[in-house]
Amino acid sequence: MGKEEEILERIKERFGDKVKNMAVKRLRRIFAETDAKDLKEVLRYARDELGFDHISTITGEDLGEEMRLIYHIAYRNAIELSIKTKIPKEDPKITTIVDLYPSAGIYEREVHDLLGVVFEGNPDLSRLLLPDNWPEGVYPLRKDVSLEEIREILEKGGERR
Amino acid sequence: MSGSTIKVIIGPQHPALKEPERFILETEGEHVVDVRVRIGYIHRGIEKAMENRTYLQGLYLSERVCGICSDAHTTCYVQGVEELLGIEPPPRSRFIRVVVAELERIHSHLLWLGIAAHEIGFDTLFMYVWRDREVVMDLLEIVSGNRVNYATNTIGGVRRDLNDERIHKILKGLKVLEDRTKEYLKMIGKEQTVLKRTVDVGILSKSDAIKYGAVGPTVRASGVKRDVRADDPYAAYDEIPFNVIVEDGCDCFARIMVRGREVVESIHIIREALKRMPDGEIRVRVKPRIPPAEALSRVEAPRGELLYYIRSNGTDKPERCKIRTPTLANIPSLCKMLVGGYIADVPIVLAGIDPCFACMDRVLVIDKEKREAKVWTLDMLRRYGREWYRKR
Repeated sequence: MGKEEEILERIKERFGDKVKNMAVKRLRRIFAETDAKDLKEVLRYARDELGFDHISTITGEDLGEEMRLIYHIAYRNAIELSIKTKIPKEDPKITTIVDLYPSAGIYEREVHDLLGVVFEGNPDLSRLLLPDNWPEGVYPLRKDVSLEEIREILEKGGERR
Repeated sequence: MSGSTIKVIIGPQHPALKEPERFILETEGEHVVDVRVRIGYIHRGIEKAMENRTYLQGLYLSERVCGICSDAHTTCYVQGVEELLGIEPPPRSRFIRVVVAELERIHSHLLWLGIAAHEIGFDTLFMYVWRDREVVMDLLEIVSGNRVNYATNTIGGVRRDLNDERIHKILKGLKVLEDRTKEYLKMIGKEQTVLKRTVDVGILSKSDAIKYGAVGPTVRASGVKRDVRADDPYAAYDEIPFNVIVEDGCDCFARIMVRGREVVESIHIIREALKRMPDGEIRVRVKPRIPPAEALSRVEAPRGELLYYIRSNGTDKPERCKIRTPTLANIPSLCKMLVGGYIADVPIVLAGIDPCFACMDRVLVIDKEKREAKVWTLDMLRRYGREWYRKR
């Protein structure tokens, strides 16, 4: 049994049905899904018991009706465990994980900025990447925001106020 | 102190440089007590742009994410796309990728060493190192045709082969680089100018390096043995024996030594790669449409772990392409290093993580009580730092 399978087994044993569609995609790559409410518990277990003490980043995706977040965590044997979770697009809220991974703060800020996901409990969700005069409520990485719209905003923003 | 803090605002930008950042330092006397970061001044929306372009066009975009480590970006990108396609690039191309990646690392680290020397007022070293960096720039030109943006990688392999003449020139150049770098390493370890400004400056303890998610030479200078090349091998790194360079100093001096020693190690890796490189094809042709899949690609860029997450949807364009650059990962650690340090050390500590620090061309000093604002350039801050140390 490889190290990847061993991790898979341990998560399965601990969380049962809470973690779904878990698969070893290739050497050192594990993907899994979980509900937003169980996410933190899974991350905490992975960090404390399985040695995943490094968070590589958080990927945010617009799936149309829902938003998907992928938490990429790593280390000990350099296995990259990607845990996916979905949240509704009308109310994209999820609890922050800065208390588990302090370095996740900046990744949450990025996802908040570009996709409008609110990380409840993150002390600093201020602008990170977008310009200061960027309109509230427009999240450029969402699929319903077109390149033309972004271009228009940027052109308008370029004017002196 | 009477509790009055002064805000020192560094940044945001010089338009000619990538990755400008803005640091708002809360200071008390000579000490930095808090740091806030604002980046994105030249955020170009490359992730969004990639969703609207074909995979091949995306390759050219990824090349342009970073000017210094463009090869790391394309390597990471093409590996992700190749995984989506389920193809393996030919063995020879994987060795060529290693050669270009390591040449790039040498050029990036030497560039950094020069700048670090400049930040502490040691311009002689800066001039010498940058003169020698020309050797590796020439080698990159010989290998790829370009001094920057090497356009070496393509989906399914590499675009340019190495012939005997080029290999001979590389080996000749490497000897010069090796001699010079070893000389610098010997000198730096004894040179008071360097030691006084870098030892015990910008401390990041081992546990903090892990806690704040540091990557690359920054984490390795804090005694943590993490290197994607060794831990999660890609290209031909699993076929080349090499050492992961680790230093226990946890300070700016350790960061200098890690990068300096890595240059020597990179030279060794290139020699081994050239020795072990098999003959054969350098690329395979691929179809433009990619079946739905997802891939997570990681490489060790000169600054640390670089990550691409790509998801395909069956068309010729990706559904999502997420990029995480090493500088972003090192920002939380950088904030940790700055807090508790002196204002005079800000330039070298900033430089210590090898961000695109030179962007921070303007410094604004605000006295909260007097409501006065003074605009400083980074040059003024640098001079302030040197003066401050001279008087001490």
